Amino acid sequence: MSVEVRNISKKFERDTSALDDVSLKIESGELVALLGPSGSGKTTLLRIIGGLEFPDNPGAQVLFHGSDVTGLPAHKREAGFAFQHYALFRHLTVFENIAFGLRVRPFWKRPREAQIRERVGILLKLIQLEGLAKRFPSQLSGGQRQRVALARALALEPKVLLLDEPFGALDAKVRKELRLWLRTLHEELHVTTLFVTHDQEEALEVAGRVAILREGKIEQIGTPEEIYDHPATPFVYDFLGNVNLFKGRVRDGAVQIGDSKFAAPEMSGDNGFLATAFVRPHDVSVTREPAGPPAFAASILRFHVIGPLAELELKRTDSNETFTAQLSKERFHELNPHPGERVFVELHNVKVFPEDYSI
Amino acid sequence: MTASTIPVAVRRSATTEPALVRWVLIAVALLFMALFLVIPLVAVFAQAFSKGIGYYFHTLAAPNTLSAIKNTSIAAGISVPLNCIFGVAAAWAIAKFDFFGKNILTTLIDIPFCVSPVIAGFVFVLVFGRQGWFGPWLLEHGIRVIFAMPGIVLATMFVTFPFVARELIPLMQSQGRSVEEAARTLGARGWQMFWRVTLPNIKWGLLYGVILCNARALGEFGAVSVVSGHIEGANTMTLEVQALFENYDQTGAFALASVLTFLALMTIVLKEWVERKGTAGFSKRTTL
Repeated sequence: MSVEVRNISKKFERDTSALDDVSLKIESGELVALLGPSGSGKTTLLRIIGGLEFPDNPGAQVLFHGSDVTGLPAHKREAGFAFQHYALFRHLTVFENIAFGLRVRPFWKRPREAQIRERVGILLKLIQLEGLAKRFPSQLSGGQRQRVALARALALEPKVLLLDEPFGALDAKVRKELRLWLRTLHEELHVTTLFVTHDQEEALEVAGRVAILREGKIEQIGTPEEIYDHPATPFVYDFLGNVNLFKGRVRDGAVQIGDSKFAAPEMSGDNGFLATAFVRPHDVSVTREPAGPPAFAASILRFHVIGPLAELELKRTDSNETFTAQLSKERFHELNPHPGERVFVELHNVKVFPEDYSI
Repeated sequence: MTASTIPVAVRRSATTEPALVRWVLIAVALLFMALFLVIPLVAVFAQAFSKGIGYYFHTLAAPNTLSAIKNTSIAAGISVPLNCIFGVAAAWAIAKFDFFGKNILTTLIDIPFCVSPVIAGFVFVLVFGRQGWFGPWLLEHGIRVIFAMPGIVLATMFVTFPFVARELIPLMQSQGRSVEEAARTLGARGWQMFWRVTLPNIKWGLLYGVILCNARALGEFGAVSVVSGHIEGANTMTLEVQALFENYDQTGAFALASVLTFLALMTIVLKEWVERKGTAGFSKRTTL
């Protein structure tokens, strides 16, 4: 089932997580991440789609499979919802938590006990917790609770699954596992899924498409590759990973940083204005000898090695600006740098945005 | 180094005081307990049984005493369930919704805690009494409020008003709305959400509030004293204790007092049990 929101606006008296005329369409069977910093309105948008919150403006619309559900409360929308802190019913067992949605159905639609057992059995298998049906939520680990919460949301076979920071409260390792599990689950069930996260890695890894929110507006939406390789705004660029900033001047499809010129193809029309160039640390290459004309000189301030990567902190010789370079461990050993040493730096995939932006 | 001369075993924690201070504090606390709590308690039962067990039950079976027990039961039996309903409704409204006048309601709930019960009683006399605002109209329709059972129930309700609500408001606020929202997204209608999710989550707090409410209902004297009119047979237990005492029937007064004391002790035991059950429930929740 497709989900569409049109012109959603919502204001809150106290907090900043408002929405400002947001429109978004999710096709049937998609797995979409709503990504943004806290206060960007991503959870509010999810809650509006789930019917837990309602838009302020009369023109706003929420459409499930093309039909208008804007005024429908949560219990009539038949969308599965998983909460950030699971919101499991602590007085009920795992089995009864999952069965809850089936048991509260109106009696003419309520499945018989045997059917409930069968359905819950299937879901317990799906979340790989078959042996824990009689446990209470307090006797489960965080990851297990989250899976129970997901099974509970799936019990009614919803056509839409809404997940609010599904892995936000878990430790890093469990989080990674559950991400993969969610991907697999989605491939199996093909239920239209929307999940909220503030973790860019999670969004890029799990989602088929990512919508980036900032201050109540959607900044960009696209596949992980699209938004990573072609960020529409400086905010998106910055939010998706570490970034170095270089002040430069744009001329003839290139940006001049110090005495060096780097290609900036999207700036071909404009000339002569001051701009900020964005470069990812892994697009900074460091050599001992100047490889060619675009390189500039820098000195090494300090470095550290984390697993397979090495990070170098560098300072431009001409302007004293500092920046970071990320190298593979092999390259790092090959280079064998020393603090204070003078090296040459080349930039790749330089991105220049026309508007002014400060981080 | 003087610090190293202090044996490690004595200094178990940073807040452990020297032995002398500890013993003095403990002794003072125990002395006070004995003087103000244990001795009166023993005295009540000693006086009640001073003329033997037979006489004890004989005095309890006196018509006025029996009707006092009945009246108190009725007053508590009506006011506790009503305050229970009000308490849940008020706590629900305050904890889960934002509405105009929320802060005022929260403050008003505390009024019975601050106002002297005697004054509360007089207010009811002023409103419902013969010369009161509604008194004449009620009398025309044959309804007696003051110097009758309805007055006693009203007064009891007033003084026990905050107990359940006060207990539930912080509890429901700390629990937040998310489990209820979860129930909603799973298709639960309003009353299903209340019975299946909200009530199980607050049951220990509610029970605790009910116990306190009931204890207060049984023990209330001031407000009830004003509205009851001290008519024979219309007294509650506390009023009857006073009436017996004033009529020089000390044993009778203490016999009835011993019943109240016994109920109070039961309340404490029950309260302790609920508190333990409740905290077990709380710790379950905080790990969620």
